[in-house]
Amino acid sequence: MALVCPIDFDKDKLKSELRLTYTQVAVDPAGDYHFHRGAEYAAKHLGYDLAALKALPLAATEVFCGTGNPFKMGTLETGATVIDIGSGGGMDCLLAAKQVGPDGTVIGIDMTDAMLERSGGAARAAGLVNVRFEKADMTSLPLADDSVDVVISNGVINLAPDKEAVFAELFRVVKPGGRLQFADIIMKSELSENARNNIDLWTG
Amino acid sequence: MIEQAGFRNAKLVEKFDPFLGTSKESTARNYGVDGVNFLAYKG
Repeated sequence: MALVCPIDFDKDKLKSELRLTYTQVAVDPAGDYHFHRGAEYAAKHLGYDLAALKALPLAATEVFCGTGNPFKMGTLETGATVIDIGSGGGMDCLLAAKQVGPDGTVIGIDMTDAMLERSGGAARAAGLVNVRFEKADMTSLPLADDSVDVVISNGVINLAPDKEAVFAELFRVVKPGGRLQFADIIMKSELSENARNNIDLWTG
Repeated sequence: MIEQAGFRNAKLVEKFDPFLGTSKESTARNYGVDGVNFLAYKG
């Protein structure tokens, strides 16, 4: 598993390119991208319950572009505090909010304004008051130490050039006994220097 | 890397093929990219 990807190019440029890509997805989810989107994809390829997705606002599901299914590893406990790293349009957060119930809290973290607008609107449309969304970098979360029961994420941590910093930050905020329950992509072998420095392979 | 951060019992639970049928399907295969579910615990 090759999670370590030291890169020489400008990390701020990568972040900017990622914002552009996912802002474009938020604005035009039917556009031409290198990754699948939407509820049908999530159900067919990743094992989500299509009926549960159809019950959510389209604003949340049509921009979903995760790479796995955190919920296949177990249902979230009632009353749990859950964060979603890279919450996008909010689909996983809304599913999580229904699982943890009114005594639980779900916090979606994203760095793209257009996605935050979508996810916030979707939560309001769904009538879910136990979920909120915050703009932050995944290496600097606006959360107290030992405050989170479960971290979910779906296809986002691979986009961070400094993954060690991400996991250190997640360890800081997770309670003792808490867990990571996330989906992402991995590579079976180390990338070449050229590949690691190809920003198009990071952003698509 | 997950366990180096302090988490315990990190494991890959399930694999997916999220790029199947996309324009990057061959690129993903060339680089050996898999979608995966991970589980790990603190303490």
